[in-house]
Amino acid sequence: MGYSGLLEWVKFNNPMDNAYYPYDVYNLPYDAGAKLWELLGGLLGWLINLLVPGNRLSTWLISDAVVNAFAIIFLAVILFAVGFVVNLTMIWEERKVLGRMMDRRGTKIGPLGYFQCLGDGLKTFMKENVAPADKDKKIYWWALSLVIGSSVLIACMVPLSHRWFVVDYSTGLLLIFGIFALAPFFILCAGWAQNNKYSLLGGIRAATLMISYEIPMLILLASVVLMAGSFNINDIVNAQFDTMWYIVPQFIGFIVFVVCAIAESERVPFDLAEAEAELVEGWQTEYAGMKWGLIMLGDYFRGYTACALIVILYLGGWMLPGIGATAVPELVFLLKIFAVFFIFIWARASLPRVRIDQILNIGWKRLMPLSVVNLCIVLLLKMGGVF
Amino acid sequence: MAMKYLKDEKPRKFRGTGVIKPLWTVLKHMFKTTIHRPVTILYPYEKEWVPDNYRGRPGLRFDRCVGCGICVRMCPTTCIKLVDVEDDDGNTVKRPQVNVGRCMMCGYCAEYCPMDAMTTTPDYELAEFTREDLVYGPRRLHFEMTTEMMEVPMEEHLPSNVAKGIMDKPVAFYNTDKPVLSKEDCIGCSKCEKVCPTNAIKMVVIGQNERGRDIKIPEIDNSKCICCENCVLNCPKDALHIEEVL
Repeated sequence: MGYSGLLEWVKFNNPMDNAYYPYDVYNLPYDAGAKLWELLGGLLGWLINLLVPGNRLSTWLISDAVVNAFAIIFLAVILFAVGFVVNLTMIWEERKVLGRMMDRRGTKIGPLGYFQCLGDGLKTFMKENVAPADKDKKIYWWALSLVIGSSVLIACMVPLSHRWFVVDYSTGLLLIFGIFALAPFFILCAGWAQNNKYSLLGGIRAATLMISYEIPMLILLASVVLMAGSFNINDIVNAQFDTMWYIVPQFIGFIVFVVCAIAESERVPFDLAEAEAELVEGWQTEYAGMKWGLIMLGDYFRGYTACALIVILYLGGWMLPGIGATAVPELVFLLKIFAVFFIFIWARASLPRVRIDQILNIGWKRLMPLSVVNLCIVLLLKMGGVF
Repeated sequence: MAMKYLKDEKPRKFRGTGVIKPLWTVLKHMFKTTIHRPVTILYPYEKEWVPDNYRGRPGLRFDRCVGCGICVRMCPTTCIKLVDVEDDDGNTVKRPQVNVGRCMMCGYCAEYCPMDAMTTTPDYELAEFTREDLVYGPRRLHFEMTTEMMEVPMEEHLPSNVAKGIMDKPVAFYNTDKPVLSKEDCIGCSKCEKVCPTNAIKMVVIGQNERGRDIKIPEIDNSKCICCENCVLNCPKDALHIEEVL
């Protein structure tokens, strides 16, 4: 085999033609990963081929399997990185907006105070790794890892657009909800394992809260799915583009879902699992230093997921009414998420924490009937042939 | 029915609408603070406006001070002390030194100073690394941008003026009150002459005693006197007292 030019090695194939391509539809991060590897691997293969012409390493480097493997890793990294940066931006948004609502200025570190989270992260990272002596060691560590892990996992599962996703299952929404509902169990275990009464109380409260707010959420999910006729996130978004945003026919559902989402992500009007005035720091009391930092990060990942679910279910996902998917549907989606997160921050700044009995009353006696009412409205609309 | 006062008099018609008002209030407040400024000031970079007679640390105008010591006597925390320093001509004079670490910024020294040499200053950033650094000597007390308002004049209406209906002539007590001598107690020791910071007191000879020595009594130049009470306080026979003008 004689000399071959660089362009014979770097071909930029269509990733859909890759024999190992895992999806049915186009995926942007995968495509970017594949292209990046074709550039890097192609360059490497070309150079090796110049030194040792006709070797099998060069051809292996640009084979479908290697491109696919690199693209998958790249996909995983880039999805987490984007989720992480979005998360930091949400924390920054919370700090700045909350500051203005409290007549303050919010953070000032870095450009517009954006680097405060990084500073906080560094600070918690430097802390000593303190753990109680009488803890239940296995549960202590595993529950923590699973709380954080499941939070990060669902945050990465959220598709940012029709071309930016991890899974395109027909039951994608159910999967997200399933992992979302795992957290109370881990939190209860974490509260138990710390051998501390405040942690245990916080864990019990968190579990009570999350279990009672899971049910209206699932009923609302059912009504949205009924209206769209599919569990697939892509289909739900397209159905909203075809008719209208579901916030219009299901306004009650939207309100109830926002309340439930705030409760599910343990944010302030419903943060009685933390309740730092009563329970030290709730179920996170004995998790010091970076453990606590990661728990907070996980909390914001859950908040991000809750906002994303609201946007997907009620606010038309990445589509704009009348325009459809723009050139960057991911950006549209993220802007909508930030707008919904503003509602969360707004509620946090305005409302005082509710007691545990009030929370259960609101959950079972108000939100639950309202979600059933919402389901009935959807049924009527569906039977009346409006949707 | 003892708990009756705890219950709402009028039950709300629509339960759960109570969240709307706080939400609306906070939203309005957010728009207000976003369009205008929040009350919080970015302290190290921008500072709050202070009035001219803001009571920060005391300041001293070295040339005006006569070292009378009124500030030392008036200081509630006794943080002022008269120390010997050299003035511009090389003479040793007494001037106040302030321990700012103990100062409570009341401004009495500036208020009582008859020469308006002690002033208040708007200087409030006084942190130092050691307690010794907090002691401000007479030269260090100097403050560049002293304005008239920082002198803090202390003036009062004389009761006689008020009785006559004159309400626009406040006077400072050190311009009216003067020391008065009771001659029968004076032993002519001339201590008052030595302690007078403005040289308002001169010993004059009024005759000879039976052994042929001069009998001296102090003569007070009221135009120079600032009513600092040093002569009264130092008189060994309590022959001097301040006569209050009413």
